[in-house]
Amino acid sequence: MYMPNTRCGVNRTEAPRRTRIPAAALGLFLAHFAVSLPAAAAGSAVDSLPEADRQCLGCHATEGMKKNLQDGGTLSLHVSGDAYAKSVHKANGCGSCHSEVDIKSHPPSQRDIKGLREYSIERAQACGQCHEDAFKQHAGSVHAMRLSQGNPLAPVCTGCHGSHSVTPRTAYETCVTCHSAALVAHEKWLPNAKSHHEVVSCAACHAPAALRMIDLRLYDTGTRTWVSEQEGAARFEKLARSIDADGNGLDAAELRKLLGEFNQGEAAPRKSLRGRVELRTGAEAHRLAEKSKAVKTCDSCHRAGAEPFRNVTVSITGPYGRPVRYRAQETVLGGPLAMAALPEFYAIGGTRSQLLDILFVLALLGGAAVPIGHLMVRLIARRRLKKGAGGNSPGKTGDHGK
Amino acid sequence: MQKVYVHPLPVRIWHWINALGFAALILTGVQIRYVDLFDVISFKSAIQLHNWIGFVLIGNFFVWLLFYLFSDKIKVYHPELSPLKHFRGSLRQLQFYGYGVFRGEPNPHHVSAYHKFNPLQSMAYQIIMQLLVPLQLVTGVLLWDLNLFGGAVNLFGGVRVVATVHVLLFIFFTAFILVHPYLASLGHTPLAHFKAMITGYEEVEEPAGGRPGGDDTPAPGR
Repeated sequence: MYMPNTRCGVNRTEAPRRTRIPAAALGLFLAHFAVSLPAAAAGSAVDSLPEADRQCLGCHATEGMKKNLQDGGTLSLHVSGDAYAKSVHKANGCGSCHSEVDIKSHPPSQRDIKGLREYSIERAQACGQCHEDAFKQHAGSVHAMRLSQGNPLAPVCTGCHGSHSVTPRTAYETCVTCHSAALVAHEKWLPNAKSHHEVVSCAACHAPAALRMIDLRLYDTGTRTWVSEQEGAARFEKLARSIDADGNGLDAAELRKLLGEFNQGEAAPRKSLRGRVELRTGAEAHRLAEKSKAVKTCDSCHRAGAEPFRNVTVSITGPYGRPVRYRAQETVLGGPLAMAALPEFYAIGGTRSQLLDILFVLALLGGAAVPIGHLMVRLIARRRLKKGAGGNSPGKTGDHGK
Repeated sequence: MQKVYVHPLPVRIWHWINALGFAALILTGVQIRYVDLFDVISFKSAIQLHNWIGFVLIGNFFVWLLFYLFSDKIKVYHPELSPLKHFRGSLRQLQFYGYGVFRGEPNPHHVSAYHKFNPLQSMAYQIIMQLLVPLQLVTGVLLWDLNLFGGAVNLFGGVRVVATVHVLLFIFFTAFILVHPYLASLGHTPLAHFKAMITGYEEVEEPAGGRPGGDDTPAPGR
């Protein structure tokens, strides 16, 4: 039996599966592997895979490899080794998802698969082995409901995330694969729809029960890409932790200091922080509700103290594409230093500056006090003048041209 | 008292549209910014109203600009080129507002068709009309469609910079619109300047031995 060494095994130093592959089968594989290797391992990314996975790719990297299905359709058995080697599941290994594959009888002489859809639904169960939380959230989602109703368009896991080339993508990139008309639909009612789509995760509105947050992600204004940490050279979290000496989250000054560290040696600051409304956990992004239940009220975000703005993180794209986050204090969004640290992030209401609020109140008070005070003094002075001049009215000359 | 035609029709139209527009923009602006404190109209309606009124005022600004660019009345905006004269005039005007007006002294500034602004007003309206209002209109347009004007927003230094400039000017104009009507009530009667901005004619005291306002005063009705 071809079994993964752990259910979500990432420790590739242990290799019990190799010891369980019979010598004959291994010989057969190696022979095939030798023939197919050029197609399978065309790049260094594949070379980095464990031997067991390269054995699988020995056959499955063959272009056009497919299986006929009972309903007349075909199932592609081709796996791009390069894409898989760059995917987030690279460390898991083929066996972690395909634990049902028995190497002694693989390929099976006969395994009937009714159709592509049935196969996708069946295979989605494998995702639940590791992504238990996401699975639970998905169970109550509109996608799951449509699936149970037999809607052929309702996506299963692979419908949104792909199968062998799963890479971290933004929710937007994932969603618009099917919902390609989303922007046009939002532009009909949502002001600045495109900007909203750029800075608000789809699930932030379409998973209304989920908790949200503001994620301030490091962005390179020179290359116009998110700043990434290279594998083995991660310093973001360590740096943030050392700057946040009291451990209560980065305050505005600490955030500026962190940003300064990433801009060291630059003539002009290239790395900035761009804010996004995200869900606090990725699993909750699967709790998508029906369209009618999506958040549509603007003041869910555009008011002081709105729920997403009470939780703030600073992040960088990690070595595997996943964000590495560090907590920041909510005051960083609207404080006096925000102009310097976050010039590119502003949300009406949500990032309201208290300093400007105070100025506004002063303007109101001053705007009312000046006329009232001046008028009072004039009235008092007039009364005195009247007394002094035997009732003659003071002069009324004046002007106020426009 | 003699009537002097100080406010031509386009200026009066511009002024009152501006007055109503500013009031509406401030009110909708307050609703947008303080949706947690006020709930008169919905956030979205406030945004839409704010945008529409903003565009009306942009058009209105060009009514003002084109009128003055193609009229000899632009002289009212010509600055006093002698700093000393301007400083002395400003000081006299400040003394009037801060002291003389309480003693019933006459306003040191004499209104005429080509000199309707006193030195303080002259400086204030130069700044307001040529810097602050255009800046408010431009920042408003940028915030209206951040995606379309993304490049310009970045040139300004980012959306927060644009928004902060817009809010700072909103605060200034709020104070302005409170103080402005009061100052306008300091005419020879409290409603004199208000009437003038409706009819176009200011009532000025005829100086001894000449027409009101000096040599540059056109005949009434011009």
